[in-house]
Amino acid sequence: MALQLSPADLLASVNRDVERSYLRARNGLRYVRGSNRPTLGATPKDVVWRRDKVQLWRYRRDEPARFAQPLLIVTSLVSRSYILDLMPGSSAVEFLRDHGFDVFMLDWGIPDELDADNSLETYVDEYLPRAVAAVRRQTGCAELTMAGYCLGGVLSVLYANGHDDAAVRNLVLMATPVDFEQMGPMVAALREGRLDPEEMIDETGNVPADVLYSGFFMLAPTTIVAQRATLLENLWNDEFVRGFQAMAQWTRDQVPFAGAAFREVVELFVRRNALMDGSLHVGGREIDFTRSGATVLNAMAAKDTVVPRAAAEPIAALVGRPERRHELLLPGGHVTFGTGRSAFRHTLPSLAEWMAAHSDERDADGHQVVGAR
Amino acid sequence: MSTWLKLVLRLERAIGAPIESAVHSDAYFDVVAELNRGTRRVTGAVESVSKRGLHLLNLPAGTDIRQVREQLARMDRRLLQISKKLEQLEGERV
Repeated sequence: MALQLSPADLLASVNRDVERSYLRARNGLRYVRGSNRPTLGATPKDVVWRRDKVQLWRYRRDEPARFAQPLLIVTSLVSRSYILDLMPGSSAVEFLRDHGFDVFMLDWGIPDELDADNSLETYVDEYLPRAVAAVRRQTGCAELTMAGYCLGGVLSVLYANGHDDAAVRNLVLMATPVDFEQMGPMVAALREGRLDPEEMIDETGNVPADVLYSGFFMLAPTTIVAQRATLLENLWNDEFVRGFQAMAQWTRDQVPFAGAAFREVVELFVRRNALMDGSLHVGGREIDFTRSGATVLNAMAAKDTVVPRAAAEPIAALVGRPERRHELLLPGGHVTFGTGRSAFRHTLPSLAEWMAAHSDERDADGHQVVGAR
Repeated sequence: MSTWLKLVLRLERAIGAPIESAVHSDAYFDVVAELNRGTRRVTGAVESVSKRGLHLLNLPAGTDIRQVREQLARMDRRLLQISKKLEQLEGERV
């Protein structure tokens, strides 16, 4: 069948192609030169507490939060926290703030020689209790919603169940691994002793960021080709290029893993798969994962290759009291909690809806109105 | 999606899938571990030779600097522990 294009359609099509070619050339040059990079983690915030390299950020808002319970996001130890605040218009933090939550984020900083002795106990018993106290001081609120991402989820479970005064009303676990037998091949190599954790630790006493990057890169080493080809196709689209640059920067921007914590993760989580026991020995006591009265949401991503669904699924049977356990299976991959089309269509609206349903609203005078739990 | 991109994506999967199964295999990790050990052995041997040469000229070698850095880091960590302990004791006293 012959194509029938009117002269006007033909002209419009040629115009579009010419314009896109110009935009491709311009964006291509900018990309190669590395200029015009998006500003990452740009949502306005204040540092409200700090200890060593750990900082607690509170995101600014123009009007009082709709919900009484502040939201504290606990990020992973091995990646930069700005994945949850990637760039304006594509930021989980911005989304949650605009949906009425008073958002705080705990950023672990970039460990160096000084942090090599940081163990799980350091994070669970030293930093987290102080950060939570700072949130309570800042907001005057007795309880909070704690949202842990990836390994930050494990720390949140240990904190919420390991402290009598944890004050965690809702515990949201995003892509949080508990069954390390289901994790990727690098974890399997560590478990079986084919990779020696001591050989991965450098002279700073930490696992260098490069090693962690290699581990993530090897999950799918050739996808970079598909990503670059997709970029080439969409090079005319400023928004796509900005998003691509932001993600590319985050992917390369791993942080070292504190040596002592890494050794514990390998021994306890990887080799003994101890999280599957439903309790863990940290800081001289046994932490029972069902001890906290918090309502628990296990949010998993269906296409997560970093923390496969099978590694996160057992949370439903291990963490929190049985009557207070909820589960959410979301489309998308590991980063769907921070960025991507699926994040803003499905993941963040679902999380916001769940958190809203389990928080108290404030009335027009700013008083707390007790809602459903 | 244009035809060329569809082709590239299909090709990437055709090549990528076997590469992924290769790099996720036991053999791959054994090779990587062995390669790392080999690299360390070679680096160690080269460093030991250069160290001897530099010491002859009364100059510090890279390994000496590394050792000093490690010792300093250990001392820094110890100081940090002591200051935290002090902070805790003061907190208990108040």
